Amino acid sequence: MLTTRAWSRWIASGEPGAKVTVTNPTDAELVESCLAGRRDSFDLLVERHQRHVYQLCYRFVGNHEDASDLAQDVFIRAYRGLKNFRGQASLGTWLYRIGVNVCLNKMGAKTPKPHALDPLLAASDERIVSQAESAADAVLRVERAGQVRAAIARLPRKQRATLILRVYHELPHEQIAGILGSSVGAVKANFFHALNNLKKLMAE
Amino acid sequence: MSTHLSESELVDLVEEALDARRAAHVESCAACRERAEALRAMLRDTAAVEIPEPSPLFWDHFSARVRGAIDAEPISGSLRWAWLGRRGLVSLAAAAAVIVAVASGLHLARAGRGGAVVPVTVAGPAAITVGAPDARIDGLPDPDNAEVWSVLTTAASAVEFDEAHDVGMHVHPAAIDHAVQGLSAAELTELGRLLQSELKRSSN
Repeated sequence: MLTTRAWSRWIASGEPGAKVTVTNPTDAELVESCLAGRRDSFDLLVERHQRHVYQLCYRFVGNHEDASDLAQDVFIRAYRGLKNFRGQASLGTWLYRIGVNVCLNKMGAKTPKPHALDPLLAASDERIVSQAESAADAVLRVERAGQVRAAIARLPRKQRATLILRVYHELPHEQIAGILGSSVGAVKANFFHALNNLKKLMAE
Repeated sequence: MSTHLSESELVDLVEEALDARRAAHVESCAACRERAEALRAMLRDTAAVEIPEPSPLFWDHFSARVRGAIDAEPISGSLRWAWLGRRGLVSLAAAAAVIVAVASGLHLARAGRGGAVVPVTVAGPAAITVGAPDARIDGLPDPDNAEVWSVLTTAASAVEFDEAHDVGMHVHPAAIDHAVQGLSAAELTELGRLLQSELKRSSN
C-alpha cells in the first residue's frame, strides 16, 4: 500500500530537478495521480473516506455486514467512475452521492435487517449500558434509540437520506441539496417532514 | 401578528439559523412555539442514536478488501492506459531497452569471436547471463511463449531503480511483473512483435 511518504517521493520524482514535498496530498491531487496511473493513490482516498462512507451505509442498513459490503461497493463504483469526477464538488460530496444512491438502491431491493440482530450493535448497546448513568435509565435510552432506528428505517427514502446526512453527518443543507439533486428548500422541507414523521411513527 | 413560520423557517429556527425578526414570532405564537418544540425534541432523540464503532482492525481489513476488489476489476479505458503508461509501459520500455542491449552485446560478441557465442552479463541485483548455447535470443521470440516473458521480467529486474530514475524513467522493481500480467493477448502479441523487430534490427 502506498504511504503518504512514498506518494510524496513519487510526486517529487514526477518533475525532474524540481523537488516537491507533498506530505498531505489533497483529494484532488490523489484523484489526479490515480487517473495518471497510480492505483495506490486510491488506497489513500479509501483510507481517508472509509469511515464516513461506512457510517453512512450503516445508518441506512443498520448492520455491520451489509454496511461494509455497501461501503466497498461505493468505493468500487467511485474507482470505476473516477475519470468522470470533474471536481465541481468535493470528493467527499461525490462519495456521499454514490453512497446514497448505492444505499437507496439496496433499500429498494431488500428490506433492511432489524438493527437488533446486528451483533456489533448489541455489543455496543451493552457497553453503553455498563458505562452509562443508572442501569434503568440506560435501558430506557437504549430502548428509545431502538425505536428511533426502527422509525428511521420506515421513513420515505428521500426523507431518510436527508435526515441521515443532516443529523449524523452534519452536512449543510446546501451540500445535501447537491448530493440529492434537489433544492435547498426541498431539503429543508424533507428534513421537517422526516422529523414530523418520526414523531408519528414512534407514537404508533 | 406576523404570519406563521414556514416548514423551512421552523427548521432554521431549531437550528438557530433563523433571523431574529422572524424568530421573534414564536414569542407571540403558541402554535409555532409548540411545533418548534416538537421538532427540537425529535431532533434531540434522533441525534442521540449512536452507531457502533467497528474494531480498529476492521479499517485495515476494509482497505485491503477494497484494494483486492479493485485489483480483481478488469481495467478498462483510459485508466488502463494511464496505469500502463505509468507502471507498465515505462517498465516495458526499460525491459525492451535491456533486451536490445543484450541482443546488441551478443551480436558484437559473435562478430568479435567469429560467431562463437560468449556470455554477456547484465549487472544488477538479479544478474543474468545470456548467451548459453540453448539461449533463444538469437531466434525470434514467440510472444505466446512464457519463456519470453520470463526473460523480460528477469531483464527488467536487473534495471537499477536509481539509474532509471536518473534518466527520467520510474521503474518499480515489480512493475514489469504486474505490467506483463496486466497485458491483454493483443497487447502481448504487439509487444512481442516490437521486441522481435528490435532484436532483428540489432542482429543485422
